[in-house]
Amino acid sequence: MTDQADLYGKRTLDFIERLRTLDGYEDICRQVQTELEWYGFTYVSSWSIPGPGEDPAQCLMLNTRPQDYVDHYIEKNYMVRDPVVTELRRTLTPFSWNDLRSRGDLNKSEKSIIDEGRDFGAKDGFMIPIITPSGSVALFSPCGPEPDLTPRARAALEVIGMYSFHAIKRALIRRLRAESVHQPLTAREREVMQWVATGKSDEEIADILNLSTPTVTWHVENAKRKLDAFRRTYAVVQAIRLGEISL
Amino acid sequence: MIRVLSGKQRDAYPDLFDQHFRLRYDVFVKGRGWSLPAADGLEIDQYDDSDAIYFLDVSEEDRIQGSIRITPTVKSSLIADYFPHLIENGQPARSSSIYECTRYIVQPPRKTRGDNRAAKSRIIGAMLEWCLDHRLTYLQTIIDSVALPTYLDLTAQTIPLGLPHPYGGGRKTPGGGDCMAIRWPVTQEVLDDIRNYGAPAEADPLLAHVAAAPPPAEFVH
Repeated sequence: MTDQADLYGKRTLDFIERLRTLDGYEDICRQVQTELEWYGFTYVSSWSIPGPGEDPAQCLMLNTRPQDYVDHYIEKNYMVRDPVVTELRRTLTPFSWNDLRSRGDLNKSEKSIIDEGRDFGAKDGFMIPIITPSGSVALFSPCGPEPDLTPRARAALEVIGMYSFHAIKRALIRRLRAESVHQPLTAREREVMQWVATGKSDEEIADILNLSTPTVTWHVENAKRKLDAFRRTYAVVQAIRLGEISL
Repeated sequence: MIRVLSGKQRDAYPDLFDQHFRLRYDVFVKGRGWSLPAADGLEIDQYDDSDAIYFLDVSEEDRIQGSIRITPTVKSSLIADYFPHLIENGQPARSSSIYECTRYIVQPPRKTRGDNRAAKSRIIGAMLEWCLDHRLTYLQTIIDSVALPTYLDLTAQTIPLGLPHPYGGGRKTPGGGDCMAIRWPVTQEVLDDIRNYGAPAEADPLLAHVAAAPPPAEFVH
């Protein structure tokens, strides 16, 4: 293993570790952009592939390409002629714009669509298809003037793409959930969650409140359901955020 | 129900183990074309020793509809013996508190999405629970790198141990692909994640809308 290969691996593992500590959409996107910049990517977009009849503009999860470029792309309906889109129907292996160009079988219109990226300084880009757990395909697509697309860089970028996509998706879900109205907790649920927030176990809380442990667990489960939280640690965060408990 | 058996019990449960090794043959040798030692239609390798622990999802008709094997890493492991290049940060783990998970099979009778998730959650949850009870710290495994999103969906605490590397000739070769090593911390939180994964989806309408929601204004420029 060469030093450079170590660097890609080390950077990627560090990046993923940092990502795991972040919850907010903006923080996550900032981290993602910074990491991509090391590879020479100055723009990134991530979206899920729209189904038939779906408005392409509606599936975007992250985009730093210039808005007028995106608008122009949609307005001209480039999707039907974009060689990148055509290639994505054939393969789910990541590929770069230069990979397509060097195959030498693009027609004039296809070449010009890829080359439009140059208008905003993107000469090459990397398309990372991601098979989502539901079976649909999403894309993570960074581009830039002269990005590093050596084999180890590609391996690293694919992992970066998958983790970034996942983190962004979860951050968006969390944001949508926070904006929706929540069911208020009962006094007992609030009391139990207040103790959970201090780190007490269900048994300890049962002792403190003179309840049985299963009853305490039952209150926690109800609170989790109302706060739309899968884990009790997240339920505590939600409860604080929504003003149900305080530290 | 999930039966937990150790390699020491192979003679005590001959039919169950026979079914298990035949299922592995069908799935990995016939199905995926892996070149594994396979005599008489049974897929058994050197890690199937007395230290191995098997989790078998057995139906009411005694059919194995899912299975997974874990083995200690102290003396040897698939990663240390055959895939050390998948570990970016140094040496493959050799620890009494780290086990390796292999030969993962999930085949519920009904292949609906809900049943699949429930079956996955059941067997992986049983495995995590056993590891938690036995105070293990990590479970490591090798996955096909394109399947990473599925593992992340199970728990966000899916930690990569290195970058993907090609196997079997890489993705352009039939039967080949890219693989990577990952590990899960053995914690209650991860176990909760796995249990929640299998919980009946009170279909979250918000999830359907995420892809459709326009990105927050501050990030489109």
